[in-house]
Amino acid sequence: MTRAGYFGEFGGFFVPEILVAALKELEREYERQSRNPEFHADLDRLLGSYAGRPTPLYCASRLTDRIGGARIYLKREDLAHTGSHKINNALGQALLAKRMGKRRVIAETGAGQHGVATATACALLGLECEVYMGEVDIERQRLNCYRMDLLGAKVVPVKTGTRTLKDAINEAMRDYAATSDHTHYLIGSVVGPHPYPTMVRDFQSVIGIEARRQILADAGRLPDALVACVGGGSNSIGLFHPFVNDVDVAMHGVEAGGKGIETGMHSASIVGGTDGVLHGTRTRLLQDGDGQVSGTHSIAAGLDYPAVGPEHAFLNSSGRATYHAVGDDEALAAFHLLSETEGIIPALESAHAVAYAATLAEKLPREAVVIVNLSGRGDKDVSQVAELEGRT
Amino acid sequence: MRRIAPAFEALSRSGSGAYVPYICAGDPDTDFTLELAKRLCNAGADILELGLPFSDPVADGPVIQEAMARSLSAGFKVAHVFETISSLRRAGIRQPIVVMTYFNPVHKFGIAEFCGRLASSGGDGILVVDLPIEESEDLERSADRNDLDIIRLVTPTTDDRRLRSILAKASGFVYIVSVAGVTGAREGFDGGVSGLVGRVTELSKLPTAVGFGISNPEQVRRALATGASGIVEGSALISSYSSLLGDRDQALRAVERHSKSMKDAASALKA
Repeated sequence: MTRAGYFGEFGGFFVPEILVAALKELEREYERQSRNPEFHADLDRLLGSYAGRPTPLYCASRLTDRIGGARIYLKREDLAHTGSHKINNALGQALLAKRMGKRRVIAETGAGQHGVATATACALLGLECEVYMGEVDIERQRLNCYRMDLLGAKVVPVKTGTRTLKDAINEAMRDYAATSDHTHYLIGSVVGPHPYPTMVRDFQSVIGIEARRQILADAGRLPDALVACVGGGSNSIGLFHPFVNDVDVAMHGVEAGGKGIETGMHSASIVGGTDGVLHGTRTRLLQDGDGQVSGTHSIAAGLDYPAVGPEHAFLNSSGRATYHAVGDDEALAAFHLLSETEGIIPALESAHAVAYAATLAEKLPREAVVIVNLSGRGDKDVSQVAELEGRT
Repeated sequence: MRRIAPAFEALSRSGSGAYVPYICAGDPDTDFTLELAKRLCNAGADILELGLPFSDPVADGPVIQEAMARSLSAGFKVAHVFETISSLRRAGIRQPIVVMTYFNPVHKFGIAEFCGRLASSGGDGILVVDLPIEESEDLERSADRNDLDIIRLVTPTTDDRRLRSILAKASGFVYIVSVAGVTGAREGFDGGVSGLVGRVTELSKLPTAVGFGISNPEQVRRALATGASGIVEGSALISSYSSLLGDRDQALRAVERHSKSMKDAASALKA
């Protein structure tokens, strides 16, 4: 990293002046706490006794047999409290907010998993919580809205723009501009201005640190490949980052191909996007020739975002990781495949990773090992899928 | 040719405050923008701020968001902003024109190309809301090469050390954000901004304009009483016409009435 907050040419600090003081304070405080053993002890205690870490690394034998190639392991983030990896970062940032003396937390959410994780962390730590959520996402993720409500958080419907995750972030940033003296903005992915991409990555790296230790214990060696879905990219960077220096471990990010890259109805900002700046960071972006941000589509609300974390843009340009697009239909097929072969209903987001892992494993020899990040469970998606398939 | 500094000098000699209206280019189409800009300049605008719309305006409140959405959905393109400025110059508009926008459209267009086109069309300055001093080196180079001023925002949360760094990179005038938050009309006026105006004038010779939340003549008087050289208004101006767009003559007359009252308050102040 040459400049603070940069990953190669990506990242940075593209924010209105009104947010600068708050973000500098956050950067200072995060740096201080990340060196503070007491902060880490608090977080580790919560991750262990509250969030259920370490999550298992499970060897999916029936799935492996069905595919007939490399051995597939699932990193079971779906078993973490609240049902996804989002709790790792939510607890970290909520503890930080508490130490910064903030009494209120705001967040954005797409699928609702980050909203639920944030509402949970705030309930646990006694913080006021408001979650911005696009109206389109509220419609397809009603269950998670009710969960946030139960947890004492207020869900604020966002009616502007495309009424999805991107616009929820816009609204949260506007709120933060006016309230940062007492409010922490708890961003849920490795997006946004510095220090968020670095901070969220650090909080999510627990996934890869555990997985690395677990695979060495179970398989006696490092994996051949890692596979994870990429919307903003927090679960994938969490898995990838601790393996970055293990150059023989291939890393595959799986973006939402929606109805096909050629249709324009997708959310694959690395595969189908160009260089741009959104939400405070320079990254790969889905935009028109005029720099206006494009509408996106994915069956998975949590992947439905036109940009991607800057570190992914960097890993892509440096060639360290490769990125692929998996469409709605393939993700749906994988949703069924994993449910039937392993008795695990994955989140539609994670189903994108499962779909790509299946194609990859098929091409690899039986001795090969692939780890898939099963970033969340699919309960939230069951009614949406039932409706799509005409079963309601 | 730099027009902004002489404009403030002339106002200062005559003892009036600057009235700086912001309008969103292409809202609801370029014909209306041209007519609106001409009427505003005739009504006494001292500097015109022309907003180039962006799909994700995080520093703007609902009124300007909606104006940008109207413009973009009618097919507004970045290149249209240069055509608009050229047309205004051809129509004899002499006031300085500052383009206010977000970084991505400029980045996509190409910073050097953007500044070149802005200058050749007759623009005088640029304000990129989400481009803080840490990230603006390329813009500084291109603006300088094209003799464009870079207008910088300073806010109530900007500390003295940062204020010095920002002012060292500012030109034209300094835009004083009067409140913590986004653009949009607000009731009352936060007197706390006078401290910020004072800090800026102590550290810099540049003129100052207070904006964000200024919507009526009383707020203009209070803003100028802080010692600021002028005021910027956007949301209130857009609100004065946006509900009347069904009858454009009526919409334009409503804006003129509103703007004259704001301009009168600005000119009366230092008398």
